Amino acid sequence: MITLADTINTAIIGKGLMIGGGFIGPGIGMGLVGGSYLQAVGRNPEASKFLGQALVFVAIIELYALLAFASIFIVK
Amino acid sequence: MIFSPLFASSGPVTHIAPGVIFHLFGWPITNSVFYGWISIVLMSIAFITVAHRIRVKPRGGFVQYVEVAADFVVSTIESAFEDKSKARKYTPYFITLFFFLLANNLLGLIPGVGDSVVYNSVPFLRPFTADFNATIAAAVITMGLVYTASIKEMGGKKYIRHFFMGSPKNPLYLVLGLIEMMTDLTRVISLSIRLFLNITIVEIIVVVFAYLGHIIAPLTAAPFYLIDAFDDMLQAFIFVLLAVMYIATAVNHVGGEDLTEENNTDRVGANPSETVAKAA
Repeated sequence: MITLADTINTAIIGKGLMIGGGFIGPGIGMGLVGGSYLQAVGRNPEASKFLGQALVFVAIIELYALLAFASIFIVK
Repeated sequence: MIFSPLFASSGPVTHIAPGVIFHLFGWPITNSVFYGWISIVLMSIAFITVAHRIRVKPRGGFVQYVEVAADFVVSTIESAFEDKSKARKYTPYFITLFFFLLANNLLGLIPGVGDSVVYNSVPFLRPFTADFNATIAAAVITMGLVYTASIKEMGGKKYIRHFFMGSPKNPLYLVLGLIEMMTDLTRVISLSIRLFLNITIVEIIVVVFAYLGHIIAPLTAAPFYLIDAFDDMLQAFIFVLLAVMYIATAVNHVGGEDLTEENNTDRVGANPSETVAKAA
């Protein structure tokens, strides 16, 4: 008997779900960081010197997206 | 067939771990370590030359770029510390770290590094920072410096004490303090994983888009190549920035009161009329 798993490569679907699901959160998070930074600069242009601090938060969030990307290599 | 990548039955060849290229005295030497040695030699030559050519009035060229980059790191470190003399003490290590990571990240962009030159069925050259062993070594050394500096500035007992918000005899504060200690240890892992995954995965993304482009591969890969270059520079900076922040929070914790007192005496001494008035 031929099952569904034999006819289509379910690993591809798994990888796709992993990438899609794993990138939603970091994507929203990075958007919030960048939006808040621009809002702060718009209200108070002297706040533009805090770009380094904003990049730190981007780096912290980005790690989770990278972990999602790296996990696709363990799916066979 | 031109459209064969659309029916991707076999993807591009990617490597997430370095491969052994030869053995030296029975030790396996991976392509990352080999490229790391090459980068050390190149960087030694470049920076010794730069160090000999530094003038008060710069003549431009490569020396000036190195000066600008070093000045950028120095200003980052100085803005993080409250006490500038303490910032100067830790500057040499962070400048070395920044240039080492920057050079090793960017050396992965040179054509011929990666899967284009294959030897013993593994790529002959691979960027040093695209190896987890390399980044965890950098993170362990950096966090070792952070812990040593914190203990030296605070004293052992005060260092242990600063993890606890209240008295450690209170079970709630004890548990929270232990969690805080564990969080401090995970910084080693997060620093190393961030650098390793960024460098490796951005390289894989360039390979994937070169593969999808097929006959127009340079055109499709070019934007991601530029993202790769930007990300390499950003990650070298962020590694240094995070390490500086960890060390600065520990060092600033102690020196707050002494600093204001020192500033007050400086101000009195600097103003002659005030000194005269005080003497009178």
